[in-house]
Order: sequence, then structure tokens, then C-alpha cells
Amino acid sequence: MSEHTVRIVVDGRELEVPKGELVIKAAQDNGTYIPRFCWHPRMKPVGMCRMCLVFIDSGRGPMLTTACTTPVADGMKVDTTDPAVKKAQEGILEFLLINHPLDCPVCDRGGECPLQDQTMAYGPGESRFVEEKRHFEKPIPISDLVMLDRERCILCARCTRFSEEVSGDPLIEFLDRGYHTEVNTFPDHPFRSYFSGNTVQICPVGALTATLYRFRARPWDLVAVESTCTHCTAGDRIVIQASQNEILRFLGVDAEATNQGWLSDKCRFGFGYINSDQRLTVPLIRDGDGFREATWGEALDLIAQRLGDVIRTSGPDAVAALGGARGTNEDAYALSKFMRTVVGSNNLDCRMDDTLDAEFLAATVDRALISDIDRAKTILVWGPDLKEEHPTLYLRVRRAAIGSVPGLVSSNSDAHLAAAAGATLVVVHPRATGLDPVADFKLTYRPGSGAELLAQLRAGEGRLAEVRAALAEGPVVALVGRTGSTEDPRLAEAVAAFVRTLPDAKILPLARRANTYGALDMGVAPTLLPGRVSISEETFTAWGDIPRKPGRDCRSILEGALAGDIQALLLVGADPVRDVPDGDLADRALDAVPFLVAVDLFLTDSAGRADVVLPADGFGEKEGTVTNLEGRVQKVNAIVPGAGQSRPDWSILDDLARRMGSSLGFGSAEAIAKEIAEVAPAYRGVTWDVLDWEARDGVVVPGGEGTQPLVYLPADTPGPIIKADLVLHSARTMYDDGVTMRHTPHLHRLAPGAALHVHPDDAARLGLGFRARVVGSSGSATLPVVTDPSLARGVVYVPFNQPGCPPLGSDPRVTVEPA
Amino acid sequence: MLTELLKGLAVTFRQMFRPRVTTRYPKEFRTKPQRFHGRHVLNRYPDGMEKCIGCELCAGACPARCIYVRGMDNPVDAPVSPGERYGFVYEINMLRCIFCGLCVEACPTEAITMTHLFEMSVTNRDDAIYTKNELLMRPDGTVPHMFDDDPYANYEELNTADGWLRATAPGGVAAYEGVKMWQGTQGPASWDPEPDQETRDA
Amino acid sequence: MGVGIAAPPNILTTTIEKAARWAATRSMFPATFGLACCAIEMMATGAAHYDLARFGMEVFRASPRQADLMIVAGRVSQKMAPVLRQVYDQMPDPKWVISMGACASTGGMFNNYALVQGVDEVVPVDVYVPGCPPGPQSLMHGILTLHRKIMEGEIHR
Repeated sequence: MSEHTVRIVVDGRELEVPKGELVIKAAQDNGTYIPRFCWHPRMKPVGMCRMCLVFIDSGRGPMLTTACTTPVADGMKVDTTDPAVKKAQEGILEFLLINHPLDCPVCDRGGECPLQDQTMAYGPGESRFVEEKRHFEKPIPISDLVMLDRERCILCARCTRFSEEVSGDPLIEFLDRGYHTEVNTFPDHPFRSYFSGNTVQICPVGALTATLYRFRARPWDLVAVESTCTHCTAGDRIVIQASQNEILRFLGVDAEATNQGWLSDKCRFGFGYINSDQRLTVPLIRDGDGFREATWGEALDLIAQRLGDVIRTSGPDAVAALGGARGTNEDAYALSKFMRTVVGSNNLDCRMDDTLDAEFLAATVDRALISDIDRAKTILVWGPDLKEEHPTLYLRVRRAAIGSVPGLVSSNSDAHLAAAAGATLVVVHPRATGLDPVADFKLTYRPGSGAELLAQLRAGEGRLAEVRAALAEGPVVALVGRTGSTEDPRLAEAVAAFVRTLPDAKILPLARRANTYGALDMGVAPTLLPGRVSISEETFTAWGDIPRKPGRDCRSILEGALAGDIQALLLVGADPVRDVPDGDLADRALDAVPFLVAVDLFLTDSAGRADVVLPADGFGEKEGTVTNLEGRVQKVNAIVPGAGQSRPDWSILDDLARRMGSSLGFGSAEAIAKEIAEVAPAYRGVTWDVLDWEARDGVVVPGGEGTQPLVYLPADTPGPIIKADLVLHSARTMYDDGVTMRHTPHLHRLAPGAALHVHPDDAARLGLGFRARVVGSSGSATLPVVTDPSLARGVVYVPFNQPGCPPLGSDPRVTVEPA
Repeated sequence: MLTELLKGLAVTFRQMFRPRVTTRYPKEFRTKPQRFHGRHVLNRYPDGMEKCIGCELCAGACPARCIYVRGMDNPVDAPVSPGERYGFVYEINMLRCIFCGLCVEACPTEAITMTHLFEMSVTNRDDAIYTKNELLMRPDGTVPHMFDDDPYANYEELNTADGWLRATAPGGVAAYEGVKMWQGTQGPASWDPEPDQETRDA
Repeated sequence: MGVGIAAPPNILTTTIEKAARWAATRSMFPATFGLACCAIEMMATGAAHYDLARFGMEVFRASPRQADLMIVAGRVSQKMAPVLRQVYDQMPDPKWVISMGACASTGGMFNNYALVQGVDEVVPVDVYVPGCPPGPQSLMHGILTLHRKIMEGEIHR
């Protein structure tokens, strides 16, 4: 027995369990299941439901005690099988069922309901209650995504605790007292939380149900497969459930390394686009202003012939490719190999000019893991609003900032005790963010002046002295990224360079789009080769003779197309017109390029201009791996067939290569994974077998010393300071007008909409009425005006990529006039 | 030898005077046992509401997986069935169905019952998939069939119920114990109530 | 359906075509293909209580050469499928197939690797008879449906 454990006896078995652990958890970990409704391993215990009553003898004789609120103590005796315990369980269940309606046949939870299951296992056979049950209006929509049926509620407080403790938007609460107690939202305040779907998943009865899943299927006709969400880059583990070849819901999986069971609503409900009837189902070839349907052979032959012509007449450098971040690593590898070996060009980029340097994202020095956030003393967030762009990371940082959860006590290590006090959180962002309420320090700055603030912070003088002192306490974890599309991408790197001067500091570079990290690791960047290898690295010989000169990045490709240097452009799951901050540039470039090919799920704004459009398989339709922002490689799995004739990207590229007289040599996605595991140094040995059987929570790459050839030191060049009377901040929100959201109607409705947010003083000064015209460096729009006192004076905010608003440009200088 | 021949023929001759046992289907129908499992029917309440609530328990209980049900929100202004949910799609593949009656047992609202009709032979397997159109009792209590021109079928059998119908304790309300619910339903759904607890226990 | 006449029906052969169809329905000789429980019902159909002799088809032929109707009564395993096909091929034209019961028609409740999921994967089926097993009256309804199909000369329903 070590100093961190105690001995207890559960049902006559002597156990050695960690000190401070709750009886219910200790028993469960050692094979004794104590029934419960209110206790959730990721939240504080409350002892609301009384279902976990067991005999606990701490020396004063056995007493019926709730196992979920009692920490273990040395010599404690627990009896879960005594007739009195059985009687207590039956009594509690009979009480819980007094007001629980018998509408299991129509309840979405029926079949997977803890109340059903535990009534069958521990409940009495009959109820003595013959009076009228409690009645409420049922069901009431408490938000666009969640329905509440108060009759079914057993008042376990899981949803209220989740929204208060975990997500930090306590919009659902207990009302009234005693017999009249009910869970509800406040009048006129819908349950508008980005995390509301989690309450549906943890509800032990069918009181909270999801509108999307409502009455769509029953548990027994669902098939399920575990996968990884690719809406953001955190790599949340999910279960995809489908019935009759239609994806019906996502559930969170409690993976300690990533999402710990929670999901954002975008991840949980953002699958409508997969089932959309707008999906491309056949290859399309341009015919005048429209398209005509074609066979795969015809479309691929045309592409092969046109690409061949361009390569012959203008050289391989006249061909470029954008995209690859939406697919799997296998797809990205195929694209990278296709461009390097078949075309012979380094002009490819998975970034849409809205994120950071490729080498910084892929191979920065001192890279942090997500779990480092839990152990940090100080957390610096200088990047996008985590709640909007990295929701599960937001939950992680928030939990670390407010201190750990007592129910989670699993070790008494020093690091854990330090974390329990809560980390010091420093948030730097031009605008109010979701983390502000739990931040110890919040710094704001005008877009364009970030370098100035960084210099002041580095000096640590005046009002920043306190912040600087906090940052001096390690371990420090810094989450750095581009706060908005008008910010210089070099600023984040300069912040990272500053962070490296702090004690015991780790850096988590943030990028938003799906599998950006995986695509970069597969070499879908002008300067990178698979496995975090620089393009100039001569030791990489697996692909034979490939061009070694760095190619063009996204911006340069678009400029080249405009200048006529790029003659053929491949868009692989890319929509530059909506995604590139300089939308005007992308717009003109796509019109200018002579031959445009789009591989996509939908006829997007960009794909609509293509000469050939090829339908691709989407999420849940293909198997593969993805890499999250800490470098964790995880599996995504297929559960439904693709739409129509769609194919996975790698198969399209392989076929195309063969028609161009070459070959990529792939037979299946798994074969590509094997090739990656051999060819890419950082991915050595990471095969599907390993991910499927040994490491379900993924493998962090690089696996060992020396397997990452490229180690990038962040450059300390924050970029120019741009001052102007009015500066623009434009950042993404969770729900926007991106192509997947646009075809997911339930969520697209929730997009905040295009608006010009401006400080009331500025609105008065500029004489703005209800609408105003904003002219940015690369686009303009007439938008409704919203006054927002939380903005600094002289800063206007326009959410990026909202319905009815084009990208306004990457320069912060902006003019606003009344319209 | 002649006596043997006559002996044998006498046996045959005797048979001529015994009653004929052959049922001359399709002119005559042999009386089927009360619990005969024939074609399914979806019942209605006397007020015309559908009994099916689309809960898919029948589909879950079906060992042949021949039932496909999809539920939907009941329209608030024109509800199809009592409660929140109704059976939006209801299909039975009669060729897969093994007529075991587990769906009838699983049904919490007595919505699906079996009739005595068995004439369902088809020349095209698509025609063996009975949808709500064919399964659901009409508001006047008659039951439709896949083919209304079958010269051999006895449509009267659609109005006979199997013996599996049983009354459930209605909603746990003590006052209704032993009272026959859903009275006056047409053909397929008419039965005696369950005895009350005391009678049952005695 | 040509019912034994190679040339398509025309004005000269209509009456004889009708006669041939009528003749075909009056004395079909089923090949015995009882594979499982359905066969018991098939036997019952041939016995006195239902008496298939009324349709002139009381003799179940043991040789496919002498039969023109195959009643597949029971589940067809993957190993039985080639045998089934061979028996069918050995039957002289014109010939018909009745798939009797759920297993023969679709695999029924045995949705597994061992069974053919519907005998129409192996031979062309004229009439499907639902039931598990179909009673003698159900089978007779199937036979009558087949008669009707032959007489009307087209796939009705």
C-alpha cells in the first residue's frame, strides 16, 4: 500500500484504491457496478437521485449512504448486495417512476434508457402508485436543437450541472420547489448553447431529446461505427450511428486524450450535409454556361488530356492544386504524390490563406499535447475565439482555468493538486471571447497593432507587469493562432517565439479546417513532403526524382492564375471563393484560370466555375486516418455508401494518374496507409492495424526521437504595425456559410448572419443608421449595423463567411459609411 | 384368387359410402383455428385515430426483420394517432414474414393484429411488400387488401381476428381495472378485458 | 409466354394457344422438391383433405424429366442451389416454378451466409407463396394464381 492508496472492502473483496476517490468510482473500476442516474464521471457529484444507496461502514456500523458522494477511506466496508440495499434500490426506483410517464414506446430514449435498464435490473416488479401522475405540457422546444419533456425528467441535475460546470452557459436550471420542481430554461432565454447536445446524450431518461434525431429511429435499428469528427481540428472521438444507409446521429466518446466525451453542437448535429440531396452524384463537364453529366471515363480522360497539354506547353509549374484538408491523410498523400510525381509541380497548398505558416503548423518546436493544458500552471490563449472555432478545446481550457472536478479525483499526484487550484488563464484577442468569464487576464488590442502589444507584454511594464509575472510561472501552455482573417499570420509565430522564452513552455499552434494538420503532414504544402520533411531534404527518395524548388502557396497560386502563369488548377475539396480572406482575388483568379477541375461534395461557388466537376465521397463514406492539432493520428470510418457514383479522392487521383501514363500504385486506402507508414518518417509504423486494435484513441506523431526530420523554430517577425482610424476584425463563428454548414439546414439557420458590429460611440460618430456600407481591402458589403459596447472604439467586427457577405480582405484598414 | 380381388375391391367400395373429407378450395374454405396467423392489419380506434404510434417495437421484435417502420411527429392540428408520434411509414415484406405473431405481442397499443386471410400469392415480389395503404384499416372499419380482384380470396377473413388479442391494464388507472376498453371496434380488434387482480390471483 | 408454341401468338393460332394454355393448367406434374417443413404442407396438399388431384396434379414426379412444375418447398442452402438449378434445367419446357414459403422466397428469418436469400437468385420464379409454412390452402392459392398467370398469358399483379 502506497501513500496514495487506501484499502477498502467491497462485498467481501479487499481492494486497494486511490485515496480521495469516490466509492461509486472505486467500486466500478474494480468490477462492482452500483446503479446511478445523477453521477457522471466528468462532473461534480450531487447525490440527487439516491439510486446509489449502499451500506457503507466507516467504523460506526453499516449505514445506507450514497456511494457517489462518499470518498473512500481506509478500512471502509461497502456492501452492495444486502437485502436492505436491494429494498432501498427498489424503493428509490418506485419513487422515481411515480411521476415518470409510461411513454417508452414513443420516447427516443426507449431501448437505451438508463432508467429502463436499471428498473429492469434493480426495480420492483410493480408500482403501488395508482393516483394521477404529474402533468406538464410536452414536449417543449427549449432551443432549435433540443426538446424538453418535463414529465419524463427525474431531476438528476446532469443537464444543469453540465451547463454550469462544463460549458459555462447556465441557461437551463431547476425552477420551483418540492413536488413542483422542474427543469426549464429562463423565460425568453432559449437554451442557446454551443454544447446543448451534450445534455441530450447524458440525460438518463428521455427528458431532453434532439430535434434532429426525434422519432427518426430506435436504438435497435441503428448500426454504429467509431470515428473521428473533422469539423474542427481537435480530433474528437465520436460514434456515427446510421439506419437504412442514412446517418442519423453522432455521439461523443469519452476519449481522455481529446474530447472527454463532450462534443459541440456543430460536431454532433453537423452531419445533415452528408444526407443532402444537393450532393454531386455524377461527374459533370462544362457545357456552355451549364454542365452536362458525363461518365467517369469521359471526365477523367478530358482532365488527363488537358493537364498533359498544359504540362507539355507551359511546363509542370503551370499546374497547381488547392485543398486536401477536408479529406483523410490517405487522400492528402495521394494528392501530394500525384502533384509531385505525375505532374512534377510543388504548387499545392491545403491552406486557404487564412491560417499560419505551413512549417510552423506542422513542425513547430516544443509542441504541446492537448492534455498538457490540464497540467499547465499558466495558459496563454492568443488566437481565435476557442468557443467559436475549437469548441472542445474551449471546454478543456475552461476546466483547467476553473480547476479540476472533485469527481475526477483519480490520483493525488502533485501535478493534479496543482491543477485542482486552477491555472492562470491569459486571453488575448481583439474582441470579447467565450473564455473571458474564466480568464484571469484579458488583453484586447486593435487588429494590426498586435506586434505593439506583444512588445509591451515582452517588456512587462505598466499594466502588463502582472500578466508578465503570471506568464513567468511554468509550466506554460500557449495556444496561438490567427485571431481573425485581417491579422498578419506572422504575429502568431512571433507570439510563439516569445512563449519559448517562458519557463517550461509548450506551444499548440491552432488551425481550424478539418484535417489541415494531416494534409500538411502528408506534404500538401509548397515546402513540405510527407512525414514532416522539408522539400529540400535530399534524403527523401521514396518518390524518386521530384522537383526540389519550393512551390507557390495558396495566395501565390491565385495571383499566378490571375497573371496567367497557372494554366490548370485542381480544387480538391476547396472553396477559395468563400474561404480565402481576399475573396476578390480568388474570384478573379478562378475566372482567369484556363482549366479548372473541382473534386467536391457539392457544386460550391468555386466548383460552379470549374470545367470538370468530380463527385467525391464525404465523411462517414470513406475509411482513413486524420491528424489532429497535437499530431494525434486517429481513424475515421465508413458507415454509409457514397452518394451516387462518388469516389474517394485517392481513387480519383490514382485513376487520373493512370490515364496520364503514370501510376500512383495504390490499390486501396489501407495500402496507402501502409505506404505512409513506410515513407513518411514521422508516421513510421502508424498503420490501420495499430489504430484499429492497439490504439483506439490514436497515436501521437512523431512517435520517437529523430523521426521528425524538420523542427521549425518560430520566427520572431511579427509583421508591420498597421494603424488606421477604423480597423476591421473578421473572425469565424461556429455556424457559418461554409459548404458543409450551408447544406445542414438545422445549423445553417443558427448562423449569426452578416452584420457590422461597431461600438455605439463609433456608430454615432460615423452617423450609422440601420445599415452601413463596409469597404475592405478586397470586398465590400452593405450590412445591418449592430452596436456592441464590448468592442474597442475604432474597431469594427464582421463575422467571416456569413450568408450574404463576401470576404472583405486580409488588410485591417476599412472604411464604413452610412447606407 | 377371385375372393382376394373382391376383398380388396370391397375396401374401395366401402369408402364410397363414407363421408367425403376433401375441402374443395377455393369453392369451400376449411374453418381455421381461432388463433390462425394470417395477414396483418393495422387497427384504428373507434374515433378513427390510428392505433399505431410508430414505436418500432414490432420491427425490433420481428425475427425475420420484415417490418420497416418510421415514426414522425404527430401534426398538432390534425393528429394521426394519440400522443406525440405516429407511424409515418409502415411496411411488411410478406415474403420474409414468418407469421409468428411476435409483432402482435410486442405492440403496446394493439395496433397490429393478425387476420385469417392467407391468399397473398404474388407473381412479382414487389407486390408482397404491404405498405400502410394495404395494412391500415379504413375509417369505416373495413380492411383493404393488396388486390381487390382476386377471384379466389375470401375477403371476409380480413374481418376475423386471431386469438392473440389481449386487453392491457389500461394506463394503470385503478378505476378501469377489469373494464373493457376500446369497445365497439370493428372486426379485428374486439375482445374481453383482462380479469381484475383479485380474480387473477384467486 | 409461348406455352409450348415457338411462334408468337397470331390470329391463326389464338384458339390453339388458348387450348394449349388450358391443357397446361389442367395437369401439371410437380417435381418433388421438398426441402424443409414446407414440404409437409405440400404433402398435406396432395392428400385427401385438400386433394391436388382435383387440379390433375396429384402425381409428384421423382424425375424432373416428367415434371413441368417445380414447387420449391423450404429453405435452399448454398450447397443445394446448384442441385436445384440442375433439376430445373432437366425439366422439359414449358416449365414453371412456385417458390413456397418465406425461406424459399427471401430466406425468411434465416438471413445468413448458409442460405440462398430467395430462390429467384437461382431459377426464374413464377409465383411466390408467403407463409411460414404456407398452409395447403395457401399453396393451392399459389397454384391457382399460377393457373391464372398461364391462362392470361401475362404477368398480372
